Amino acid sequence: MVEFKNISFSYSKDSGVYDIDLKINESEFCFLVGPTGSGKSSLLKMIYFDILPSEGEIDVFGYNSQKTKKNSIHKLRKKIGVIFQDYKLLKQRTVYENIALPLHINGVGRKKIKYNVEEALELTDLLDYQDKYPDQLSGGEQQRVCIARAIVKNPELILADEPTGNLDPAAAHKILKILEQINKEGTTIIMATHNYKLISDRDYRIIELKAGSLVSS
Amino acid sequence: MIDQFAFLIAEGFKSFYRNKLASFLCVITIFINFSILGSLFVVGYNTSSLVDFFRSKYSFEIFLQNDVDQDVYTDFIDELSKNNIIASTELIDKEKSAAIFKEEFGEDVVDMLGYNPLPLSIKVFINEESFEFDQVDLLIESINTYDFVDEIEYRGRYIDDIEDRINLAIFLFLVFVIAIIFLSYQIISNTVNLSMTNRRDFIDILKYNGASGIFIKIPFYIESILYSVFGSVFSFLFVKYFFISFNKYFGVNVKLDDYLWLWIIGFSIFIGLYSSNQSMKRNMNE
Repeated sequence: MVEFKNISFSYSKDSGVYDIDLKINESEFCFLVGPTGSGKSSLLKMIYFDILPSEGEIDVFGYNSQKTKKNSIHKLRKKIGVIFQDYKLLKQRTVYENIALPLHINGVGRKKIKYNVEEALELTDLLDYQDKYPDQLSGGEQQRVCIARAIVKNPELILADEPTGNLDPAAAHKILKILEQINKEGTTIIMATHNYKLISDRDYRIIELKAGSLVSS
Repeated sequence: MIDQFAFLIAEGFKSFYRNKLASFLCVITIFINFSILGSLFVVGYNTSSLVDFFRSKYSFEIFLQNDVDQDVYTDFIDELSKNNIIASTELIDKEKSAAIFKEEFGEDVVDMLGYNPLPLSIKVFINEESFEFDQVDLLIESINTYDFVDEIEYRGRYIDDIEDRINLAIFLFLVFVIAIIFLSYQIISNTVNLSMTNRRDFIDILKYNGASGIFIKIPFYIESILYSVFGSVFSFLFVKYFFISFNKYFGVNVKLDDYLWLWIIGFSIFIGLYSSNQSMKRNMNE
C-alpha cells in the first residue's frame, strides 16, 4: 500500500530524512514516533506527495513519486485523509461546512453529503456542534472536527500528524479511541506522535525515527 | 456535477463578498479605467466619420475666362464628370455668382457697377471614397493647362494636416489605452493575489483533500469575472449617458457603437480572466 524505497530528502544540512526503506500494509495501524525534528512530518508529507524525495522513490496505491505527474497528484490525495496538529479548520465556516468540503471536491451530491457528514459527526461525537464555528470549540473538539473531515470521504488511508499534540490527556485518549474505531472498519492509519505515554499500552506497530533515520520498524 | 458547480460558483461569490474592501476598490478602479477606455473607444469610433465628413466637404473651384464659349465649358464639365475621382460638379454662372456676392456682402454688384464683372466658375466635389491628394494635385495641374481656365481656388492639403493630427491623436490614444489595459491587468492580478493570500488555508485544505488545479482556480476566476462585470457595467452606463448628455448639451452627434456594451464588458472580462490566471499561476507555482 505504502512503500518507501531508500528515500532521502533534506531541508537543510542537518534536517531531513535519510535512506528510509519501509512498507506499510493495508488496514494497518502504526505509530510513527520520534522526537521533534526527527522527520515524522516529512515522511507523512511524502505519502501525500506534498514533498518528494530527492533520492529513492515512494509508491502509494500504485502512484509512484517519480512517475506521477504533478497534475495527477490530486487523484492520489482523494484516497487519503490528513489530520493536522494545528487542525487547519476554516474559521469562517461552520463545523458542518468544514467537514463537507472534501465531499464537494469529490463531486458528491447534496443529499449524500448530508448523510456522510452526519455519519462522521456521529462517529466523532460532534452532532450537537455542527452549526458552531471552530473558534467556539475547544482544542479537542476542533481536532475531532479535523478527524471528521478526514474520514468523511471514506479514505483508504489516514495520516495523522501529531493529532494529540495540543490536547490534554483525556482529549488525546478520546482522539486515539476514534482513530482505533476507524481502523477497525479497515482504514489504514499512520499516526505521527512523540507522546510515548499515550501509545505505550497499545499493541500496534511502532516505527521509530531519530535524526531522520529509521531506528526500528 | 451540478452540485459541485453550484458549490464553486457560490465560493466565487463568497470570496468576492469576503474581500469587501479589496473587491470594492478593484471594481472602482476597473470602472474608472474602463470609463476612460470606453470614452476613447467612442472617440476612436467617431474619428473615421470625422475624416469622412471633412473629405465629403472637400471641393475646389475653377474660375473661367470671361470670354469662354458655352460649348467649351459644357464639354469641359462633361469631361470632368467622367473622371472617377470627381463626385459632382456645379456650374456657377454669372447670375448665381452675383447672388452669392449679394448674400455674402449685402450689395448687388450689377447695381453697384452697372455690369456683372464676376466670372463663370465650376465647383468640383471630390469623391470621398477614392480620395487621394496626389490624384487631386494631378487633376488640378491638368486643368490648369486649359487656356480658358483663369484660376483655380484650391484649399491645398488641409485635410491631410487634419488627418495627420488625427493619426497622431489616435497613436497617443493607443499608448494611453495600452497603459490603461496594463493598469487594469495589474489591479485585477494584485486583487486576486491578495484574495489568494488571504485564503491560503482554504487553498491548502482543498489541495490536501484532492482538489485539482482547476477546481481550486474556478472560485478565483469567478471572483475576477465579478470584478470585471461590476466595474465594466458601471463604466458602460457612465460612457453611454456621458455622451448622450454631451450630444444634448453641445448639440453635436457623437455616435455610439451598438456593441459598445459588448466591447467594454467582454474586454474587461477577458483582462480579468487573463490577469487572474497569471496571478494564480504565480501563487500555485505552476
